[in-house]
Order: sequence, then C-alpha cells, then structure tokens
Amino acid sequence: MANYGMAFDYKLCINCHACEVACKEENGIDLGAKNHRLWIQEDAAVSGDFWNLERDKVEFMQMQCQECQDAPCMAACPNGAIYRDENGIVRLHKDLCDLTRACMSACPYDARYVDEKNHITDKCIFCADTRLARGETTTACQITCPAKLRYFGDLDDPESEISKVLTSRKYFTLKPEHKTKPKLFYLE
Amino acid sequence: MNIIETSRRQFLQGSVSLCIYATSTLSSPWRTTKTSNKKTTNTPYLCNMCRNKCAGYARVENGIITKLNPNHHFPKSRNMLCQKGNAGIQAIYDEDRLKYPLIRIGNRGDGRYKRATWDEAYEYIKEKLVTIIDEQKDNRSTVAYCNGEGFNKDEYIKFFGSKLGSANFLDEGSICLNTKLGATQLTIGDVGEMDVAGSDYMIISGANRYESLITPDSVDMIHSKQKLVVLDPRCTVTATKADEYLPLYPGTDLAFCLSMIYIALKEELYDKKYVREYFDDFKKLKSHILHEKYTSKWAESKTHISAKKIEQITREFFAASNPLYYLGRRSVWSQNDFQLRRAMVLINALAGSINRKGGIIFGKPIKLDDEAINEPIYDNAQGRFDLDGIVYGSQKGGSWLNFRQKVLDKTAPYPIKAMFIRKHNIMQNMPNIAKTKKMLEMMDLVVVLDTMPSDTAMMADVILPECTYLEREDMVVSFNRLEPSLALRNQVIEPLYESKSMQDILKGLGKKLSVPLFNVSAKYDEDLQESIKEDGMHKAFVEGGYDMAELYHYTTTQRNKKLITKQFGKEVYNSLKEKGVWYPYMKEQKELFNDFYEYYPPEKRFYTVDKRYRVKASLSKLEKAGFDAMPTWHKRYDFNLHEDKFRVITGRYVTTTQSATANNVMLKDFHEENFLWINDNDAKRFGIEKGDSVVVMSSLSSIVIKANPTNKIAPNVLWIPHGFGIDSQEMTNAYAKGASDNMIIEDKFEKIYGCATMHETNVIIRKI
Ligand code: SF4
Ligand code: SF4
Ligand code: SF4
Repeated sequence: MANYGMAFDYKLCINCHACEVACKEENGIDLGAKNHRLWIQEDAAVSGDFWNLERDKVEFMQMQCQECQDAPCMAACPNGAIYRDENGIVRLHKDLCDLTRACMSACPYDARYVDEKNHITDKCIFCADTRLARGETTTACQITCPAKLRYFGDLDDPESEISKVLTSRKYFTLKPEHKTKPKLFYLE
Repeated sequence: MNIIETSRRQFLQGSVSLCIYATSTLSSPWRTTKTSNKKTTNTPYLCNMCRNKCAGYARVENGIITKLNPNHHFPKSRNMLCQKGNAGIQAIYDEDRLKYPLIRIGNRGDGRYKRATWDEAYEYIKEKLVTIIDEQKDNRSTVAYCNGEGFNKDEYIKFFGSKLGSANFLDEGSICLNTKLGATQLTIGDVGEMDVAGSDYMIISGANRYESLITPDSVDMIHSKQKLVVLDPRCTVTATKADEYLPLYPGTDLAFCLSMIYIALKEELYDKKYVREYFDDFKKLKSHILHEKYTSKWAESKTHISAKKIEQITREFFAASNPLYYLGRRSVWSQNDFQLRRAMVLINALAGSINRKGGIIFGKPIKLDDEAINEPIYDNAQGRFDLDGIVYGSQKGGSWLNFRQKVLDKTAPYPIKAMFIRKHNIMQNMPNIAKTKKMLEMMDLVVVLDTMPSDTAMMADVILPECTYLEREDMVVSFNRLEPSLALRNQVIEPLYESKSMQDILKGLGKKLSVPLFNVSAKYDEDLQESIKEDGMHKAFVEGGYDMAELYHYTTTQRNKKLITKQFGKEVYNSLKEKGVWYPYMKEQKELFNDFYEYYPPEKRFYTVDKRYRVKASLSKLEKAGFDAMPTWHKRYDFNLHEDKFRVITGRYVTTTQSATANNVMLKDFHEENFLWINDNDAKRFGIEKGDSVVVMSSLSSIVIKANPTNKIAPNVLWIPHGFGIDSQEMTNAYAKGASDNMIIEDKFEKIYGCATMHETNVIIRKI
C-alpha cells in the first residue's frame, strides 16, 4: 500500500530516449513510434537566425500519464474498466476494455495509446505489473536515466525522497485548469 | 506556474520536435518481451553498444534476456544505461544476425554464400592462407588484420601480430581520435584523462557530449554546476544546453584557440608559476603567437565569433579555479587537427590545468598483468608501410587511408593478399567507399568475424559468426584514472545459433593453422631451419612459440580466475563475478541522491599524482619534417566558400553508434533514415522544403537524401548523420534507408598521424 507519484527535475533532461527504450523493453510495449507510455517533448524550438539563436525556451519535458487524482479517463470509460489500484495508480481491467477510446479523448495529457497486441488502451502504470509487482522500488525509466531526474516514490511517506524533494523545492503540474490533480510534478 | 500544452498527435507530426520520427514499417512489430512479476537471476555484464562499456545487470527469464538494467557499482557509468544500452536486447535477438559460418559462392558483394561447418570454414581459410604465405615466401605481413572493437583487441593483436607474425594491424584510431591522443602524449607526455566533474569552467569544441554520450563525462556535465561554453557549426543538444553557445564556421576552432592563447599571453592571464616550472619553449611560443598577431579581431574574421565574446570567454576561462578546455573524442576534422588538439592542451597548460582537479589528469590507472605468450620470430616478415610519409602516426593502429592507398596504387613494398576483419565495418566507416571495395576486391582471401551481415561482411570469402557481448565472458578490463576500477564482462546466456566467442574462433583457427603455417616457415626461414636441425621438429615448434592457440588452452573463465586471483586475490575475483566491478572503496560507496552515487571519497581520487613531465610548446621533429612546430593558422584553413557551395560535416544521432546499430529495430523507431541538415535560408534559396529529396554531389560521387531545413546549422554547411545508407540486403531493417556520408566524403588525410580528415569535402546540391 503506497501512494505513488513522480517528480521530474525536468531541466536536466538531454532527450536521450533512454527512458523510452527502457520502458518499452521492461513492459513489453510494441515497437513503433506511436506506441509508448512515455515520451519526451521538445517544449519550444530554437528560434531566430543561426548566428543569433534563442535557446532559452527550449526544455525537454517528460510526458506520460499524470496519475490524476481526479482522472477524466476513469470517468469517461462507459465500461467502468478503469480503476485505481491499492498503490494509487490508475489501472485498467483488461477484460472490460473494448476499445471505445473514450478514455483517450478524455485524457487532457494524451497519455493513452492503443495497444494493438492486447486490444486495449495502455499508458504508464509506474511499472506496476512488472517491477513493482516483484517488489522493486524503482521504475524502468527512473533507474536508467543518465540524469537521474525522475524521482519515484510514495507521496504518503514523509521520509521518501520524492516527499522531501517536493517539500524543499518549488514545482508545477501540467494543465491545472483541468483540475485533474496530477501526481506528477515538475521541479523548478 | 508554467502551463505546457502537450499533444502526442502533434508530437508525432514533428511540428514541435525537430527530431524526425519514423512510423514503423515492420511486418512483425512485436519484438519486446514484457518482464514477469517474478524474481529471477540478474547477471552483471558490460555493455557493448558503444565504446563506453557501461556496467549493467541482465535479467534472464527462461533462458531469455528480458531486460537490461544499469549496475550501480561501476564508477565509470554512474548507474546509467542509455537508450542504446537498453536496446541491446534487440541486438542479441536480431533475426538478421550471422548464425553460422558462411563461404562465398557468388561474386564479392552479391551476397551469395553457402552454409558451412566451422571445420569447413577453417579448412577453407587454411588452404588459401598456406598458398598465400608460401607465395609470399613467408612474409607474414601480407596478411593484414583489423579490429574495430575495444574489447579483445589486444588478444586479437597477439594472435595475428605476435603469433601469425603480421605487422599490418589497423584499427579505428586513424578514422577517429589519434590526433587528440597524439597531441596530448607529445605535449604533456601522457594521454591523460579529463576531469569533467571537477571543472568549474569548461569549453567544448564540436564534441557533442549529450548526443554522443561518453561516460562519465556526459553524466558529470549534467550534474556539474560548471559554466559550459560550446563552439559548434551546428546547434546540437549540447549547444542548446550550454550556458554559452558560440556558433562558428567549421574548421575554425583553431583560430579561436590561437586567439585565446594570444589574449592570455598579451594580458598575462596565464599561470606564471606553472609555466615557469613546467614549460619548455615558452618564449618561443610567446614570440610566435604575438608575432602572428592572433588578436580577437583576427579570430572574429575567421570564426564569426565576435572579438568581444572571445575576449570575455578567455578572461573568464583563465580566471576560473579549475578551467578545462575539453579535448573531444571523435573523428578528425581537418588538416589542422593535430595542432588544434595541441592548442587545446596548451590552453589547459597555460591555465595550470594539468595534473590537478578539473584539468587533464594523469591519475593512477590499475595496471593489469600481461598474459605472456611465446612469440615466434619470423625472418621474412616485413615491417608496416602505412606510416611512410607520416610524421608520427600510431605504431599500433596505423593509418587506414594511407594503407588503403598504397595497396591500391601497388606502392606498398609487398602485396597485401589477405585480410582478417573483426567488428570493423570498413565498407561504411571510412571516406570513399568505392576505394575500400576496390581494395577488398584485390585480396585473395577476406575473412570477416562479426555479429551482423554488414556491408563489409558481404565482401568476405568466409564469414565467421561471432557471438554478441551478452553471450560470452571477456577478459577483465581496467578503467579510468581518477577513480580507477576493474570490470568484467560476464556471460549472460549461451551463444545463439552456431556463433562463437572470438576466443573460441581463434582457438579453432589456431589449431588448424599452426602446423601448416609452421611448415611454410620451415621452407623459407633459415633461423627456423637451424633450430629444427638442432632440436628437431617438435621442439622447434613448441619452443619457438608456433602454437597459435597457446592462449586458448584455457577458457576465458579459467584465464580470468588465474589472472585476477594471482594479482589481486580472491575477494576481487568474487566481486568481479558477482557485481561485475571492483574498486577499493566499494564498501564506502554512498548514495548522494535518487540512485546517484559517490564512488571514491573525494580525498582518495587521483587528482594530482607524482609524475615528472614537461609541457612541450614546440615540437622540433615536426619542424624538421617541414611542418609547424607550434599551432599556426594558414590561409588554406579559412572557411571561404562560394555561396552555392557547401561544406559537409558528419556526426551521429543520439540513438546510433555509427553503422553498428543500423539494424536495431528499437533504435530504428527514432531515426529510420537520416536527414540532411541544411541552413533554413540556404534551403529557401534552393526551394528546398522539409522532406524534399536532395542530391548532394562531391568530386567522388553523389547521394540522394531527404532534407531537414533548420536554423540550427551554419550557412553553407550540411550535416549528414552517419550510419545510414546500408548496402547489405541482409540487414533488412537498414538496407537502403537514408544515405551514406562516406560515399561522398573525400579521402584526404593529415600527415601528422595519418588520420582521415572528415570535414574537408565541399559539395554542390540540387533538389529533385
Ligand atoms: S532518460 Fe532522462 S535524460 Fe534521457 S530522455 Fe529520459 S528523462 Fe530525459
Ligand atoms: S514508470 Fe514504468 S510504465 Fe511508466 S513510463 Fe516509466 S517505465 Fe514506463
Ligand atoms: S553509453 Fe550506452 S551504449 Fe554506450 S556502453 Fe553505455 S549504455 Fe552501452
């Protein structure tokens, strides 16, 4: 029983794609660029003329399911296939999913994609049925990252590293206007 | 609070990200295996997807590798495994892998082979080799051999160099970084290591450390609070992330360096005490630089970096406590490369940044005992010829382009009749592919040891399938100087198909070749005839060291055990077997944050060591050979192109290791083909839009490649990512995707180290 979340020291990202490959290999995600639980988004392009480039606005953002506490996907699913597991992770009853894709349209973060192999919609679940299920305390993307910028842990445990980092540093969440209350945090 | 709009769909169209994503065209897209929820064995191994050799743990379930994870014990790789390291699984389970020995039945290059047993393959090689060496009257150097992989290289040299007796070994050094190694060695007496983590101010010229990861440098840059200044004709990710990015014309970094030296001397910014104690020929350097008037204004006219900026950076650099001019590690760019690297070393020396924290350190590498072998002496083996006309050159790895040219022109003192090529894709990795092809066509015997049916393998008479890095144990390796450690590549799974480790291949070859080749020697070698007369055949063979398989009487596991326990004891051996790594402070290893560790306690690191050395500002040998003794600018280095001409530069995507990863299905998802970077204004002039096909034509040949117009590259410069345009149809994921830079890069080389100069080709372009 935990309440898992993730915090990103996002400015350290070098867009190396290690997290993306690690996630695919760990969780058996299909090949193909359109299939992924996480991706890195270049926030703004370098602008201006070559000799006078503006680089300040460029950040590489770690994108994946934001683990909303008020999850629009869960509300949208007509089959009640989406639930929250004992570790606070938004999960899917695979047998109930018949690919209405309502969750995909409802998600403000575009976190879901169609897993063609299993005929379901899929998204990041913090490696719940692989690493966490066998008692590991790191996710595939977190442990492989050269920048070690992904903090993963129990938000309810005040002693966890993620809790400490969230108390000591400023952060923001994505699209707060949707009032989804994400459990993914971006550290300033 | 910062609000970010995100959209996967938008992302896939590439409208935000300039990284071009491919949609998969694979027939069977499901090649990943989800790990299970069970605990299982994890074997420590060393990665081989690039030159870094990061440490990892391989998860094995039912005999299948399902996941590769970083190994937190290894100081060098800092508990990370990159995208390529993670995609290593796809290299093991690549369906196109070489599976069994093959003997050519068609023409070279047409891909027609027949399956053979290992013995048939060895037999074939023996027949040919005996004839060749007999024809050449026991001149063993008629067999050239090359290797592109760091691991096992020394053993490979022992086999073909010491045992078989050839002087002609070639490696990637002369198409990579030999000028840098040489410049450091000759200027401060050692190749050293750069202490990136300890530096508070770092300048990088061209090296793209965030898209071409070097451990620990790249990781240390991410976490260090240093000021980072990047010079590059292309706004790379490293440049994007830098505190200051100084765009400049290609090949003009030397002008920037000369100006830094000028300013340091003129304004007396340099470390006077250090210079007094360590420099030879300081006065000579000073009068040369001042006399040539390498002012900031002058450098501005060459580089396009403003004079004010050059002054500011120089002053900041010399005011910093631990400044470092990063020497880079990549292909040689232009004729001035040796003196460019030397200028960088001299800048570090002028700042006193040698043998101290944050500079070029000497450190204290762990020296491993050599496994001694009995080396035969061949009377008739002649010396190497590829360093003729080269001032220094590497006695070890030689000069590829000079070698190839002399073979082609038949100006070599004797013919090269056979080549053994291990993990070295020479059909892709050096300029002017047509010439490499021609050279290989001249051979009577070409043998390739590789894991993949590369373009080079397709030129072989015999292909010997080597197993991949996860299917074998390799000999223990010593890493690094500041925080030295030992690491061992343990075997994770048994070799797939009929592949074998290099050691097993050489063992088989050695057993097959030793006696027949000994008999050839006995025909021509008078000293050998003498000892046969005195001692008899058997004794002459054994004591003369003619048993080519000598090293392989024991398995690698047995050899490791013996070597390591003898030199370091059982505990070290056990650590290497169980954790893959050993260094003296493992028990004190401490987590700093979020699975990021401190390895050596700071006071135990070898920042400064006792070592006598001099800084050689001037090299008289160069002067005598008619070259500059000190870094000097010449008019021919100016970047000066007609507006319709372009200079080609090369490099690679973060997801590729040259052509070695070309067929990796996972990595293909990021870049299925390569795109030509062209300055956006230039593209407009030529009416070129994103995705348009463009012909790029040099004096050699032309290629067709899709365009990526961008503001991130200098005008009149084109960037071609390397590792594409694979010609081997057996590489089904890579074949004919994108274009190969080396089709059009002209085969020029500099004469100090004989290194290929990759950035000196001018081209014209046309939209089609
Ligand atoms: S592994 Fe880390 S640095 Fe690399 S892309 Fe992912 S988050 Fe960024
Ligand atoms: S936490 Fe696990 S499932 Fe989620 S993105 Fe990272 S690796 Fe993938
Ligand atoms: S940097 Fe990446 S590919 Fe290279 S050795 Fe390390 S993990 Fe492997």
